[in-house]
Amino acid sequence: MTRTRKFENWMLTSGTFVAAALWIFPLYWAFITSIRTEERVVSNGAGIIPDEFKLGAYIDIIRNTNLINWYINSIATAVIITIVVIVSGMMCAYAISQMRFPGRRILYGVVLASFMVPIQALVVTQFILMNDMGLINTWAGIILPQLVVPVVIIVYKQFFDAVPKEMREAVVLDGGGDYTLLFRIYLPLNWGITTALAIITFIMAWNQFLWPFLAVTTEDQMTIPVGITQVNDAFGVFYARLMSVALLGAMPVAIAYLIFQKKVTEAVMISSGVKG
Amino acid sequence: MGVTLTNVSKSFGPVGVVHDVSLDIPTGDFAVFVGPSGCGKSTLLRMIAGLEDTTAGTISIEGRDVTDVEPAKREVAMVFQSYALYPHLTVFENMGFSLSLKKTPKSRIKDMVHEAARILHLEEHLDKRPSQLSGGQRQRVAIGRAIVRQPKVFLFDEPLSNLDAELRVQMRLELARLHKQIGATMIYVTHDQVEAMTLADRIFVLKNGKLQQAGKPLELYDNPGNQFVGGFIGSPAMNFLPGRALGRQDGLLRIGLESLDAHLLAKVATELSEGTSVKVGLRPEHLRPVEGGFNASVEMEEDLGGVSYLHARLADGRMIVVETRGRRESLDGRTVSLGADPGDVLVFAEDGGRLR
Repeated sequence: MTRTRKFENWMLTSGTFVAAALWIFPLYWAFITSIRTEERVVSNGAGIIPDEFKLGAYIDIIRNTNLINWYINSIATAVIITIVVIVSGMMCAYAISQMRFPGRRILYGVVLASFMVPIQALVVTQFILMNDMGLINTWAGIILPQLVVPVVIIVYKQFFDAVPKEMREAVVLDGGGDYTLLFRIYLPLNWGITTALAIITFIMAWNQFLWPFLAVTTEDQMTIPVGITQVNDAFGVFYARLMSVALLGAMPVAIAYLIFQKKVTEAVMISSGVKG
Repeated sequence: MGVTLTNVSKSFGPVGVVHDVSLDIPTGDFAVFVGPSGCGKSTLLRMIAGLEDTTAGTISIEGRDVTDVEPAKREVAMVFQSYALYPHLTVFENMGFSLSLKKTPKSRIKDMVHEAARILHLEEHLDKRPSQLSGGQRQRVAIGRAIVRQPKVFLFDEPLSNLDAELRVQMRLELARLHKQIGATMIYVTHDQVEAMTLADRIFVLKNGKLQQAGKPLELYDNPGNQFVGGFIGSPAMNFLPGRALGRQDGLLRIGLESLDAHLLAKVATELSEGTSVKVGLRPEHLRPVEGGFNASVEMEEDLGGVSYLHARLADGRMIVVETRGRRESLDGRTVSLGADPGDVLVFAEDGGRLR
């Protein structure tokens, strides 16, 4: 290896290290804050080196907030959203891609158009609708407006379009119908895409803040991201507790990410169109 | 019985692709639909399978009108050019898929799949997935999938096109063997006339969606119904030369090859007025050196051992192919005088119809 090449490598490694340090610092700061006492957090001289390991903030959060409820709400709503979004998205994409019916192109146009409408623009109408249906402060109220994820339909449609038509015809001749084709042939063929889309949908649903914040007003129906705001309200600005609830809230997603890291990266690439 | 098509037509919107085709394939026959790309042969096969609607006419299988019957209930099985195997299933599962959809008992599926695998020499591959197989093996699995269904009619859509030349010859023989063994009606689509000639009991030649001629391979070869069939069947292709009727000589038709300053005699009974333009069809193996024939200068010689093909240029600039047999000195660069027996000279009218 030449000296120039070595220097280039050293520069790249250093640059990556600095970027990684900058990225991890807020997380690190949140962690060392959460293991200090509230007094220590606001006292002079509380530097970046951890000098205490107190779990008081965590214990307090678990004892004095609805954290367990928030977990249950988050898990339940995110799991239901993921399952419904994946199954309905796949079936919708199958219909648009494989079945011939009037208005098929228009339907796909509507899906594409809805992809371009920011969620924030719809929250007022969605709130009124959910309120009229009496679904505010319910899981259904949190879940329903999150069930349409156009990118899932678009990704599945691209996949279905690419499957050779002979595969479909072989199934038809074998005596299979649309459900056979979708669930016994296409679904096993695209487990990779399905897993990737399921993970990304789950993470999006878990991290969703704006809609659950609007749709839920009672503390026991809140999801974790919304619940965090209650810690702030309930205790004033108590940094250690705030950081501990934030870390506890992020933990399941972080663990899921670490386990399915490769699939998540794949999902982001698929949904952004980098990879088909 | 077998498969009968009566006045069958197919249009995609305003575009007609199959026009008024009627044909009859007896039970147990190996029928081949052959023709150039876009002639409608695959569409016709797909119509028999039920994968394409029939715009007009009726399709019957073993006496039952299946024109409006859904594909799975027509008792046909199809082997696709791209194999269309299910990549996530093993060979066993692929072959037994249709039976599992019919809720056939597992023991019966096992027996039937193993029987098909035995016929196709696939026993040791039953646990593999299609991606672990070679092209030829995949094609055999596709055929096995068809056999397991025990259909009344097997449909093959250019099944050998994706294989290399050597494997194609091998699979061709296997298909012929399979047909003998099973004895079922088979319809095979190809654009390769060699496949058609070697496999078929009966060939159906199509062009522009119309049936040009049907018959046994040698019937079509010896007695093409029109210029297209004459040119399409046979390799190397038939040579065509423009000519003009010059009247009768010893009961034979005398045809002047004006551009070559020569004439040929043909065994044609049809009376033609003198000066009528015709096309003369000469198979490469029917051309032979004669005294006083038309001259051709040999530009290239393909010596294949037992047989040689001479590519020769005529006086009017046309190229023709001449087949010779047996060893002889090279004719490359030399001019030869060629002619043919009157019985071997085929004559076609200007519109392509055969004059007999």
